[in-house]
Amino acid sequence: MLKKLFILIFITASIGAFGQSKFIAKNAYISFYSSTPLEDILGESNEAVTILNAETGEIGFQALMTTFHFKRALMEEHFNENYMESAKFPKARFNGKIEGFNKDMLTAPVANIKVTGLLNVHGVEKTITVPGTLGIENGKLVGTSKFKVTPEDYGIVIPAIVRDKIGKEMEVTVKANYLPFGK
Amino acid sequence: MKIKYAIILVLVIIVIGAGIGLKMFFKPHADISKLKTEFKVEASGLIEEFEQDENAATAKYSEKILEISGKLASKNKLQNGTDLLILEDEMQGVSCQLDSSWSAANQETIEALETGSPITVKGICKGYLMEIKVSPAIVISK
Repeated sequence: MLKKLFILIFITASIGAFGQSKFIAKNAYISFYSSTPLEDILGESNEAVTILNAETGEIGFQALMTTFHFKRALMEEHFNENYMESAKFPKARFNGKIEGFNKDMLTAPVANIKVTGLLNVHGVEKTITVPGTLGIENGKLVGTSKFKVTPEDYGIVIPAIVRDKIGKEMEVTVKANYLPFGK
Repeated sequence: MKIKYAIILVLVIIVIGAGIGLKMFFKPHADISKLKTEFKVEASGLIEEFEQDENAATAKYSEKILEISGKLASKNKLQNGTDLLILEDEMQGVSCQLDSSWSAANQETIEALETGSPITVKGICKGYLMEIKVSPAIVISK
Protein backbone atom coordinates (compact mmCIF):
# COMPACT_ATOMS: atom_id res chain seq x y z
CA MET A 1 0.00 0.00 0.00
CA LEU A 2 2.68 2.41 1.09
CA LYS A 3 4.81 1.44 -1.88
CA LYS A 4 1.93 2.15 -4.27
CA LEU A 5 1.40 5.49 -2.63
CA PHE A 6 5.06 6.32 -3.13
CA ILE A 7 4.91 5.33 -6.78
CA LEU A 8 1.82 7.45 -7.22
CA ILE A 9 3.50 10.43 -5.57
CA PHE A 10 6.58 9.88 -7.71
CA ILE A 11 4.56 9.77 -10.95
CA THR A 12 2.58 12.84 -9.99
CA ALA A 13 5.79 14.63 -9.11
CA SER A 14 7.37 13.70 -12.46
CA ILE A 15 4.35 14.89 -14.42
CA GLY A 16 4.38 18.02 -12.34
CA ALA A 17 8.01 18.50 -13.26
CA PHE A 18 7.22 18.74 -16.96
CA GLY A 19 4.71 21.45 -16.20
CA GLN A 20 7.26 23.55 -14.33
CA SER A 21 8.24 26.76 -15.94
CA LYS A 22 11.71 27.06 -14.47
CA PHE A 23 14.82 24.98 -14.13
CA ILE A 24 17.52 25.63 -11.60
CA ALA A 25 21.05 24.46 -10.86
CA LYS A 26 22.49 25.51 -7.52
CA ASN A 27 25.89 23.91 -7.93
CA ALA A 28 26.74 24.74 -11.51
CA TYR A 29 30.37 24.45 -12.57
CA ILE A 30 32.29 27.41 -13.94
CA SER A 31 36.00 27.42 -14.64
CA PHE A 32 38.46 29.57 -16.43
CA TYR A 33 41.70 28.40 -17.79
CA SER A 34 44.85 29.90 -19.15
CA SER A 35 47.96 28.09 -20.20
CA THR A 36 51.25 29.75 -19.26
CA PRO A 37 54.85 28.69 -19.83
CA LEU A 38 55.36 28.41 -16.09
CA GLU A 39 52.17 26.69 -15.10
CA ASP A 40 48.56 26.25 -16.20
CA ILE A 41 46.15 28.47 -14.35
CA LEU A 42 42.79 26.92 -13.59
CA GLY A 43 40.14 28.42 -11.33
CA GLU A 44 37.03 26.38 -10.62
CA SER A 45 33.77 26.99 -8.80
CA ASN A 46 31.03 24.47 -8.12
CA GLU A 47 28.81 27.06 -6.55
CA ALA A 48 27.32 29.06 -9.36
CA VAL A 49 23.55 29.41 -9.43
CA THR A 50 21.66 29.38 -12.70
CA ILE A 51 18.00 29.62 -13.60
CA LEU A 52 16.55 28.72 -16.98
CA ASN A 53 13.11 30.01 -17.85
CA ALA A 54 11.37 27.20 -19.73
CA GLU A 55 8.78 29.55 -21.25
CA THR A 56 11.07 32.18 -22.70
CA GLY A 57 14.51 30.55 -22.97
CA GLU A 58 16.06 33.18 -20.75
CA ILE A 59 19.10 32.07 -18.79
CA GLY A 60 20.59 33.72 -15.74
CA PHE A 61 23.90 32.87 -14.08
CA GLN A 62 25.46 34.19 -10.92
CA ALA A 63 28.73 33.26 -9.27
CA LEU A 64 30.51 34.49 -6.18
CA MET A 65 34.08 35.33 -7.11
CA THR A 66 35.41 34.08 -3.78
CA THR A 67 34.16 30.55 -4.53
CA PHE A 68 36.72 30.07 -7.30
CA HIS A 69 39.30 27.61 -6.17
CA PHE A 70 42.86 27.33 -7.46
CA LYS A 71 45.58 24.77 -7.06
CA ARG A 72 47.80 27.28 -5.30
CA ALA A 73 46.72 29.46 -2.40
CA LEU A 74 48.76 32.34 -3.83
CA MET A 75 46.84 32.27 -7.11
CA GLU A 76 43.56 32.41 -5.20
CA GLU A 77 44.84 35.39 -3.23
CA HIS A 78 45.98 37.25 -6.35
CA PHE A 79 42.75 36.44 -8.15
CA ASN A 80 40.55 37.86 -5.40
CA GLU A 81 42.69 40.74 -4.22
CA ASN A 82 44.55 41.99 -7.29
CA TYR A 83 42.54 40.99 -10.34
CA MET A 84 38.85 40.57 -9.55
CA GLU A 85 38.75 42.80 -6.46
CA SER A 86 36.20 40.42 -5.00
CA ALA A 87 35.49 42.55 -1.95
CA LYS A 88 34.31 45.37 -4.24
CA PHE A 89 32.71 43.19 -6.93
CA PRO A 90 31.65 40.00 -5.15
CA LYS A 91 29.53 38.55 -7.98
CA ALA A 92 29.77 37.86 -11.68
CA ARG A 93 26.46 37.77 -13.57
CA PHE A 94 25.19 36.71 -16.93
CA ASN A 95 21.67 37.33 -18.18
CA GLY A 96 20.88 36.14 -21.65
CA LYS A 97 18.51 34.40 -23.96
CA ILE A 98 18.80 31.27 -26.09
CA GLU A 99 18.60 32.22 -29.76
CA GLY A 100 15.65 30.64 -31.57
CA PHE A 101 14.38 29.05 -28.36
CA ASN A 102 11.52 26.59 -28.37
CA LYS A 103 10.35 24.34 -25.55
CA ASP A 104 11.31 21.15 -27.40
CA MET A 105 14.95 22.03 -26.74
CA LEU A 106 14.36 21.14 -23.08
CA THR A 107 13.27 17.57 -23.80
CA ALA A 108 15.40 16.77 -26.86
CA PRO A 109 18.87 15.19 -26.83
CA VAL A 110 21.83 17.53 -26.40
CA ALA A 111 22.12 19.99 -29.28
CA ASN A 112 24.11 23.12 -30.06
CA ILE A 113 22.69 26.47 -29.03
CA LYS A 114 23.73 30.10 -29.05
CA VAL A 115 23.13 32.42 -26.15
CA THR A 116 23.31 36.20 -26.29
CA GLY A 117 23.26 38.35 -23.22
CA LEU A 118 24.97 40.67 -20.79
CA LEU A 119 28.04 39.47 -18.93
CA ASN A 120 28.91 41.47 -15.85
CA VAL A 121 32.36 40.83 -14.43
CA HIS A 122 34.41 43.11 -12.21
CA GLY A 123 31.64 45.71 -12.40
CA VAL A 124 31.89 45.99 -16.21
CA GLU A 125 28.98 44.90 -18.38
CA LYS A 126 29.33 43.68 -21.96
CA THR A 127 27.06 42.01 -24.48
CA ILE A 128 28.40 38.65 -25.58
CA THR A 129 27.19 35.80 -27.78
CA VAL A 130 28.50 32.40 -26.78
CA PRO A 131 28.09 28.90 -28.19
CA GLY A 132 26.80 26.13 -25.98
CA THR A 133 24.82 22.93 -25.77
CA LEU A 134 21.51 22.13 -24.14
CA GLY A 135 19.45 18.98 -23.88
CA ILE A 136 18.80 15.75 -22.05
CA GLU A 137 21.82 13.75 -20.98
CA ASN A 138 21.25 10.64 -18.82
CA GLY A 139 17.69 11.74 -18.13
CA LYS A 140 18.66 15.20 -16.92
CA LEU A 141 18.60 18.60 -18.54
CA VAL A 142 22.22 19.66 -19.01
CA GLY A 143 23.55 22.96 -20.29
CA THR A 144 27.18 23.66 -21.21
CA SER A 145 29.20 26.43 -22.77
CA LYS A 146 32.78 27.16 -23.63
CA PHE A 147 33.96 30.60 -24.70
CA LYS A 148 36.83 33.04 -24.43
CA VAL A 149 36.98 36.31 -22.57
CA THR A 150 39.63 38.98 -22.51
CA PRO A 151 40.24 40.21 -18.95
CA GLU A 152 41.21 43.69 -20.24
CA ASP A 153 37.70 44.14 -21.67
CA TYR A 154 36.38 44.01 -18.12
CA GLY A 155 38.85 46.47 -16.69
CA ILE A 156 40.90 43.73 -15.08
CA VAL A 157 44.44 45.01 -14.92
CA ILE A 158 47.11 42.40 -15.18
CA PRO A 159 50.55 43.73 -14.20
CA ALA A 160 52.98 44.00 -17.13
CA ILE A 161 55.42 41.62 -15.49
CA VAL A 162 52.97 38.68 -15.65
CA ARG A 163 50.78 39.81 -18.53
CA ASP A 164 52.65 37.83 -21.16
CA LYS A 165 52.55 34.75 -19.00
CA ILE A 166 48.83 34.83 -18.25
CA GLY A 167 47.79 35.19 -21.88
CA LYS A 168 45.40 37.69 -23.35
CA GLU A 169 42.40 35.41 -23.36
CA MET A 170 40.94 33.07 -20.80
CA GLU A 171 38.85 30.07 -21.67
CA VAL A 172 35.65 29.88 -19.67
CA THR A 173 33.84 26.55 -19.27
CA VAL A 174 30.32 26.28 -17.86
CA LYS A 175 28.33 23.18 -17.00
CA ALA A 176 24.96 23.01 -15.29
CA ASN A 177 22.75 20.05 -14.42
CA TYR A 178 19.29 21.57 -14.22
CA LEU A 179 16.44 20.45 -12.02
CA PRO A 180 12.81 21.53 -12.30
CA PHE A 181 12.05 24.31 -9.86
CA GLY A 182 8.51 25.00 -8.73
CA LYS A 183 7.08 28.42 -8.02
CA MET B 1 89.78 37.99 -1.09
CA LYS B 2 87.16 40.67 -0.54
CA ILE B 3 85.54 39.88 -3.90
CA LYS B 4 85.20 36.23 -2.90
CA TYR B 5 83.23 37.19 0.24
CA ALA B 6 81.09 39.57 -1.76
CA ILE B 7 80.22 36.83 -4.25
CA ILE B 8 79.34 34.41 -1.44
CA LEU B 9 77.18 37.05 0.22
CA VAL B 10 75.31 37.74 -3.04
CA LEU B 11 74.79 34.01 -3.59
CA VAL B 12 73.43 33.57 -0.06
CA ILE B 13 71.01 36.46 -0.59
CA ILE B 14 69.86 34.97 -3.89
CA VAL B 15 69.29 31.55 -2.30
CA ILE B 16 67.33 33.06 0.62
CA GLY B 17 65.30 35.21 -1.79
CA ALA B 18 64.52 32.24 -4.03
CA GLY B 19 63.59 30.22 -0.95
CA ILE B 20 61.12 32.84 0.26
CA GLY B 21 59.72 33.18 -3.27
CA LEU B 22 59.22 29.46 -3.67
CA LYS B 23 57.69 29.16 -0.21
CA MET B 24 55.17 31.85 -1.09
CA PHE B 25 54.49 30.27 -4.45
CA PHE B 26 53.89 26.84 -2.94
CA LYS B 27 52.04 28.14 0.11
CA PRO B 28 49.41 25.51 0.92
CA HIS B 29 45.71 26.20 1.26
CA ALA B 30 44.54 27.04 4.76
CA ASP B 31 43.85 24.12 7.08
CA ILE B 32 40.35 24.85 8.38
CA SER B 33 40.76 22.74 11.52
CA LYS B 34 43.69 24.92 12.65
CA LEU B 35 42.17 28.32 11.89
CA LYS B 36 40.67 30.37 14.68
CA THR B 37 36.89 30.70 14.62
CA GLU B 38 35.81 34.33 14.18
CA PHE B 39 32.04 33.95 14.55
CA LYS B 40 29.87 31.33 16.24
CA VAL B 41 26.36 31.47 14.82
CA GLU B 42 23.08 29.61 14.44
CA ALA B 43 22.28 28.77 10.81
CA SER B 44 18.77 30.25 11.08
CA GLY B 45 20.09 33.54 12.48
CA LEU B 46 22.76 33.74 9.80
CA ILE B 47 20.20 33.20 7.02
CA GLU B 48 18.03 35.95 8.53
CA GLU B 49 20.96 38.35 8.62
CA PHE B 50 21.75 37.75 4.94
CA GLU B 51 18.10 38.02 3.92
CA GLN B 52 17.64 41.31 5.73
CA ASP B 53 20.76 43.07 4.51
CA GLU B 54 22.90 41.10 2.11
CA ASN B 55 25.58 43.78 1.69
CA ALA B 56 26.07 44.31 5.41
CA ALA B 57 26.16 40.57 6.10
CA THR B 58 28.59 39.99 3.21
CA ALA B 59 30.91 42.69 4.54
CA LYS B 60 30.70 41.17 8.02
CA TYR B 61 31.12 37.47 7.19
CA SER B 62 32.74 37.08 3.76
CA GLU B 63 36.09 35.26 3.93
CA LYS B 64 35.69 34.85 7.71
CA ILE B 65 35.91 31.61 9.67
CA LEU B 66 32.48 30.64 10.97
CA GLU B 67 31.19 27.93 13.24
CA ILE B 68 27.60 27.32 12.21
CA SER B 69 25.09 25.17 14.08
CA GLY B 70 21.84 24.00 12.59
CA LYS B 71 19.72 21.16 11.33
CA LEU B 72 21.18 19.05 8.53
CA ALA B 73 18.70 19.44 5.65
CA SER B 74 20.52 17.45 2.99
CA LYS B 75 23.66 15.49 2.31
CA ASN B 76 24.91 15.02 -1.23
CA LYS B 77 27.95 14.38 -3.35
CA LEU B 78 28.71 16.65 -6.27
CA GLN B 79 29.84 15.21 -9.60
CA ASN B 80 33.47 15.87 -8.77
CA GLY B 81 33.14 13.90 -5.52
CA THR B 82 32.91 16.86 -3.13
CA ASP B 83 30.62 16.25 -0.16
CA LEU B 84 27.91 18.87 0.11
CA LEU B 85 26.01 19.47 3.34
CA ILE B 86 23.10 21.89 3.49
CA LEU B 87 21.82 23.25 6.80
CA GLU B 88 18.27 24.33 7.64
CA ASP B 89 16.72 24.63 4.18
CA GLU B 90 17.61 22.66 1.08
CA MET B 91 16.94 25.54 -1.34
CA GLN B 92 17.79 28.61 0.73
CA GLY B 93 19.87 27.40 3.63
CA VAL B 94 23.58 27.22 4.37
CA SER B 95 25.43 25.23 1.71
CA CYS B 96 28.73 23.78 2.87
CA GLN B 97 31.24 22.10 0.55
CA LEU B 98 33.48 19.93 2.67
CA ASP B 99 37.24 20.19 2.47
CA SER B 100 38.35 17.33 0.21
CA SER B 101 41.26 16.11 2.34
CA TRP B 102 39.17 16.30 5.52
CA SER B 103 36.36 14.41 3.76
CA ALA B 104 38.72 11.70 2.57
CA ALA B 105 39.96 11.12 6.11
CA ASN B 106 36.51 11.28 7.71
CA GLN B 107 34.21 9.35 5.36
CA GLU B 108 32.77 7.36 8.31
CA THR B 109 31.78 10.54 10.12
CA ILE B 110 30.11 11.87 6.98
CA GLU B 111 28.26 8.62 6.33
CA ALA B 112 26.95 8.61 9.90
CA LEU B 113 25.38 12.07 9.52
CA GLU B 114 21.60 11.95 9.46
CA THR B 115 19.41 14.53 7.83
CA GLY B 116 17.17 16.24 10.36
CA SER B 117 19.78 16.03 13.12
CA PRO B 118 21.64 18.96 14.61
CA ILE B 119 25.16 19.52 13.35
CA THR B 120 27.96 22.09 13.65
CA VAL B 121 30.30 22.90 10.80
CA LYS B 122 33.31 25.17 10.61
CA GLY B 123 34.32 26.81 7.38
CA ILE B 124 34.99 29.93 5.36
CA CYS B 125 31.90 31.96 4.53
CA LYS B 126 31.90 32.97 0.85
CA GLY B 127 28.78 35.08 0.74
CA TYR B 128 25.18 34.80 -0.41
CA LEU B 129 23.79 33.48 -3.65
CA MET B 130 20.24 32.30 -2.99
CA GLU B 131 21.79 30.42 -0.10
CA ILE B 132 24.80 31.04 2.09
CA LYS B 133 27.90 29.48 0.60
CA VAL B 134 30.53 28.05 2.93
CA SER B 135 33.67 26.40 1.59
CA PRO B 136 35.80 24.63 2.39
CA ALA B 137 34.16 23.34 5.55
CA ILE B 138 34.60 20.56 8.08
CA VAL B 139 32.14 18.95 10.51
CA ILE B 140 33.10 19.64 14.10
CA SER B 141 30.19 18.08 15.97
CA LYS B 142 27.11 16.04 15.36
